[in-house]
Amino acid sequence: MSSFADRRATMTRRPTAERGSRYLPLLHRIAGINALLVIAAVGVTIVVLAPGRISALARSEEAVVVLAAVALVVIANVLLLRRVVGPVQALTALARQVDYANLGQRMPGAEPTSEAGELALTFNEMLTRIETERRESTGRVLRAQEAERLRIAQELHDQVGQELTAVLLGLSRVTARVPANVREDALSVQDAVRHSLEDVRRIAVELRPEALDDLGLATALAVLCERFSAQLDLDVVGYVAHDLPPLPAEVELVVYRVAQEALTNVARHSASSRAELTLTRTEARLLLRVRDYGLGLPADSVPGTGMRGMRERAALIGARLAIGNRRGDSGCEVRLEVPLAPSTR
Amino acid sequence: MTSVAAPPRARSPESCDDPIVRTRVLVVDDHAAVRAGLCQLLADEADFDVVAAVATAEDGIEIAERVPIDVAVIDYQLGGRNGLWLSRKLKRLPTRPAVLIYSAYTDGVLAAAAVVAEADAIVSKGKVGAELCCAVRGVAAGRRDLPRLPPRLADSLRRRLDHEEQAIFGMLLAGLEPAEVARTLGVSPAVLESRLWELLRRLEGLPAAAAA
Repeated sequence: MSSFADRRATMTRRPTAERGSRYLPLLHRIAGINALLVIAAVGVTIVVLAPGRISALARSEEAVVVLAAVALVVIANVLLLRRVVGPVQALTALARQVDYANLGQRMPGAEPTSEAGELALTFNEMLTRIETERRESTGRVLRAQEAERLRIAQELHDQVGQELTAVLLGLSRVTARVPANVREDALSVQDAVRHSLEDVRRIAVELRPEALDDLGLATALAVLCERFSAQLDLDVVGYVAHDLPPLPAEVELVVYRVAQEALTNVARHSASSRAELTLTRTEARLLLRVRDYGLGLPADSVPGTGMRGMRERAALIGARLAIGNRRGDSGCEVRLEVPLAPSTR
Repeated sequence: MTSVAAPPRARSPESCDDPIVRTRVLVVDDHAAVRAGLCQLLADEADFDVVAAVATAEDGIEIAERVPIDVAVIDYQLGGRNGLWLSRKLKRLPTRPAVLIYSAYTDGVLAAAAVVAEADAIVSKGKVGAELCCAVRGVAAGRRDLPRLPPRLADSLRRRLDHEEQAIFGMLLAGLEPAEVARTLGVSPAVLESRLWELLRRLEGLPAAAAA
């Protein structure tokens, strides 16, 4: 607790960034303005009420002048203070809005011509820094995750899968020779092993998009569609444009993973028996769309880890991800828009 | 296993339960337990004679060059060169043994590459012993049993190839022998041979250094 308090104390004592102040500090200005106004008000009061009258006005007229003067003071003070405080309020509003999902926002018109401007500028710089750090750390996490997935997939394939294969081969021999009364049991054990083997293989394939590394995005997506069609009750129609530019490996991976996650969601939640996957390009961007004809998203749906994963991956390559129900049609659509680097257009 | 056999090989058994002619089998798998399991399974069958069981493709071709074999049961993923490399090498031997790819993954991409590697069958490692034995008998009898290549996948694979490779791939998918393909294209068998290695490499997505 005490260390926290110490840190807070140091933070408040830390001097502000030196950019060379060419203006009166905020506090001085407000104090100065208020002092001047008070002096003016008092002066007016003295002039109006002093026994040695300077003016020859009647009493009621004196009151009007005093009131008018006070009103003028108040209005002037408010107007002046609002000018000063307004940008700070706008900054506060922006600071409240900003979260990890939309770090791209910036305070407009931030220039070091006042303390509020300075604050906005510093705030913008901080957002940029957080955004960069966030992107880098997300990238690191995702790369580590992919490497880990690869390792687990390899272990599953090389160890568990092969050992189960050996067990299955052994069981096949045993089953062929057991007496008739235990044959049924032996066969059911053999079936269980077979299913485990299929599961291990499926999980390994899901973890590592092998075709992506070897054969590129178009073929990997075709294999993905085939696999969903073959293994699940989902007819996936895939279309991948012929004119895809060569893409960075990271972009291919993100597009593949988003497609995989979207199809998995369709298979799990949509109750749709068919889905479409298209990957097309325009001059400046790549567009992945996965749509189904099922129930659509419920109104109160909360994004799960799968959806957050898609968003994080999309943000990593500066892509935009939109997930929503299709207007005028049943089902849901996932859209991923990837801006293409000028060199690949 | 009642389908009609193509013109049989000299030593092939005509049916699943003909114990007189023994099929000489070579087993290639880099996992010791699987290799042992395969050997025992095949040795249990009266009509199989396991000639050798090795871990690598290089050892496999070395054995096959010395000892006559009828069927090679090969894992696709091996330590060094893969199973399809061995398949093409085996098919260049005068005896042209039958090749059965015994693989964990049996997707369309492998099926496409297997056609070019002239493998005769692909059997999933998820199949039980009896199914594997029947498949071995099937290829020994000269049958080919490769999974169908889904049209969209074939389309996306074709896009990775140049025009000549597409033509070769198409002819092989249609079941033409390499000799006929060479005649159709008007190239020498040697030229076609190098094209086929390149085609196989591309279909498998292997780096250029891995060719031949």
